[in-house]
Amino acid sequence: MALRSRLLLVAAAVLPLTLAAGCSGGTGNAAVPLTATPASSGGGIPAGPALGPQVLSETGSTLLFPLMRAWAAAYHQQHGNVSITTAATGSGKGIAAASAGTVDIGASDAFLSSGDLVTNPAMLNIPLAVSAQQVNYNVPGLRPATHLRLNGEVLAEMYRGAITSWNDPRIAALNPGVRLPHTRVVPLHRAESSGDTFLFTSYLSMQDAAWDRVTGYSTTVAWPPVPGARAETGNTGMVAGCKATPGCVAYVGIAYLSSAIRGGLGYAALQNARGAYQAPTAKTIGVAVGSFVSATPVNETISMVGGPAAAGYPIVNYEYAVVSKRQHSAAKARAIKAFLHWAITAGNAAQYLDQVRFQPLPAPVVSLSDAQIAKIG
Amino acid sequence: MVTTPAQQPAPPGQPAPGQPPAPDAPGQPPAAGAPGWQPPAGAGAPASPPARWRTQATVPARLRILLITLLIAVAAFGAVGAWTVIQHASAARDVVSTSEPLSLAAQRMYQDLSDADGTATTAFVAGPNVPLAARERYAADIARAAADLTRLQNAATTAGNPRLVRGLAAVAAGLPVYAGYVSQAQTEFLLGYRLTAGSFMQVASEEMHLALLPAARASYAQENAALTAASARATGLPWIVVVLVLAIALGFVLYRAQRWLSGSTHRVFNLGLLAASVALAVSVLWLLIAFAVARTDLQRGVGHGSVPAEALAQAAIDTQQARGYQVLNLISRSGAATFVKDFQAIRAELGPGPGTLLATAAAASTGAGARWATAAAHDVQRWYTVIDRGYALDDKAQYTAETALAIGPGAGGSTAGFARVEADLSRAIDADHAVFHANATAGRDAFSGLDVVIIVAAVLMAAGCAWGLSRRLVEYR
Repeated sequence: MALRSRLLLVAAAVLPLTLAAGCSGGTGNAAVPLTATPASSGGGIPAGPALGPQVLSETGSTLLFPLMRAWAAAYHQQHGNVSITTAATGSGKGIAAASAGTVDIGASDAFLSSGDLVTNPAMLNIPLAVSAQQVNYNVPGLRPATHLRLNGEVLAEMYRGAITSWNDPRIAALNPGVRLPHTRVVPLHRAESSGDTFLFTSYLSMQDAAWDRVTGYSTTVAWPPVPGARAETGNTGMVAGCKATPGCVAYVGIAYLSSAIRGGLGYAALQNARGAYQAPTAKTIGVAVGSFVSATPVNETISMVGGPAAAGYPIVNYEYAVVSKRQHSAAKARAIKAFLHWAITAGNAAQYLDQVRFQPLPAPVVSLSDAQIAKIG
Repeated sequence: MVTTPAQQPAPPGQPAPGQPPAPDAPGQPPAAGAPGWQPPAGAGAPASPPARWRTQATVPARLRILLITLLIAVAAFGAVGAWTVIQHASAARDVVSTSEPLSLAAQRMYQDLSDADGTATTAFVAGPNVPLAARERYAADIARAAADLTRLQNAATTAGNPRLVRGLAAVAAGLPVYAGYVSQAQTEFLLGYRLTAGSFMQVASEEMHLALLPAARASYAQENAALTAASARATGLPWIVVVLVLAIALGFVLYRAQRWLSGSTHRVFNLGLLAASVALAVSVLWLLIAFAVARTDLQRGVGHGSVPAEALAQAAIDTQQARGYQVLNLISRSGAATFVKDFQAIRAELGPGPGTLLATAAAASTGAGARWATAAAHDVQRWYTVIDRGYALDDKAQYTAETALAIGPGAGGSTAGFARVEADLSRAIDADHAVFHANATAGRDAFSGLDVVIIVAAVLMAAGCAWGLSRRLVEYR
């Protein structure tokens, strides 16, 4: 963290573009507000919803769905006049529905693109919790506590069909002392456009130049043709498909880690940008996100894949609520604001997050989210 | 000499030989209806002339009243005429020396900001080490935008335009924020965190598209409206009509006075009043010609210069935005659907086609401006084809090919296509600005010296009236 800060300072000082932009402006404006603003709960955020019945609708991310459902039930218990309907339709549909105004809250694993924001400048993406993505595998004969070490280069080789067997020397070289079976590698990927695919291919692109050059990263990519490779729908499909396929390798949202473990799947320790191998734990995810806290911009749009923390897990992200800051009625706006504020505070308690293995938002990010929530009106 | 012997004024109180007694000779007012009495020529017969005439003043008194009336009318014509000319000349000078440069500065700031964003995003996609040319272009864009912003802020503060001050303050507030995000993106990229860098680049671009460009566009619209208003003030008709009405009234009084004097004194001309009439005619003619020339020039300047230049400037912004969306999609990689939607909206506004920016510009421009606007309309369609191909590749997840098409150096790529359209538009804008400047300058120059002409003419008219009528008054002493 400290090293990264120093590097950032040095690089910023020598970058001519910075100087050209900052010095010639002559506008006397303050520095870029990259640090968290003071907590704004209380400033524009109501303590609770208005009296009278309110129905809030939510749809989107399948990864966020279980947590959103738990939140909806708990919030209804506390505020009986507020009912929240939830649906798992995918991040893309969540963004589209919220942008079109057909739902009150869209849930997304990814922040809004610039194209989304230009089309719908009233939309906000507000982090609700910290998520991560694990790489699962179904490799027969491994000891239960084993977390195979994998990196982007090896995973890229597996997904482009260059590594076809689990006992390939390149995998073995990363895992000394582990007996690997001669089982065929079966890469699974998502059939539909997916935030998880974006995260996983981003990781591959960051660690493997050839993957970046040929395939790249996106919510949808042209997967290299690999004999036996399969496309699955949703995280549920990925877990189920992997359970049923010895030799599989699959990328899955952290909320499904418990399900994957129960199904006998292993999960990898992934190499981060500093060369260390980390498994997705509360600590490694928290450390990874912590290295981005001070850099998170005020609109909270930030990609955190491949972060700089040596003790951090490399594939982490915020789970976002996509909301319009212009609501049809004051009562609706108040209900949305109160619920979202509750979600990032009381809703970030372990009793809710642990069941999906999400991590709570760091305090400065809560402040940033509150500042965004306060804009809803 | 313009009087005939038969028309020599008779000695006061005596009729000239062979002539009836002069009416109202001092000391001998003729009785109403008496021989030799004549009503004022052209005055029209009053209902009961003798009764009215008895109540009228004597000839010297009437001459004095006439003189005072003429002097007042001349003063009114001179004052209103000179004031009107000064107002129009001032507005024409304002068009050339204030409004046009400010409008140009606002337009340049708007375009520079947009170009800075396009340059920064394109350079970002090319890699962590920003090419020197892109670095210089970005730095120049930001520097020019900042300089124009300062100039516009000073002018808006001086002019006491709070709305414009607020809009420019939004640009001033957003510019360092934008530049900060860009530098943060480049720093993260240099450190190897490309995805984080990409998200900062997107945040920067969003700041540009959602805050800076709308504020800059509003400022440009206000400056352009001020230019149009200044041009309208310089070419406005109401006060010119007032001056003309005054001139006609003055001319009528002069004419009637000369008719009256001619009829009552049997002199064909009164030199003083004749000189005043000539001065009036010359000044009015000069005023009309100068005003017509200025009005024609300024209206041509606006219609064939600033109007198409405004449309072309917006077209240039649109092409930069279309280019920006194409490049941002390469960074965003989260589905091209909304970028395609935004691109189609821009395409519909940009044209070509009826009612589009390029069609408007081509129709309003003349000469080189029209030629380059037409060329832009042609080249932009070829560029659209390349962009469409790029988004089609995106649909198929052919990102390498899409990136090569979008930012590659090939002649058939988007970079080259965009550069062609940009060059066409830039030349068309320059040509239209030249048209505007030449016409506005000619319009301004048409007013040169006109205020002096009006004042000198008024002085001459006053002197002529005073001299011409005082000669008549002297005859009664």
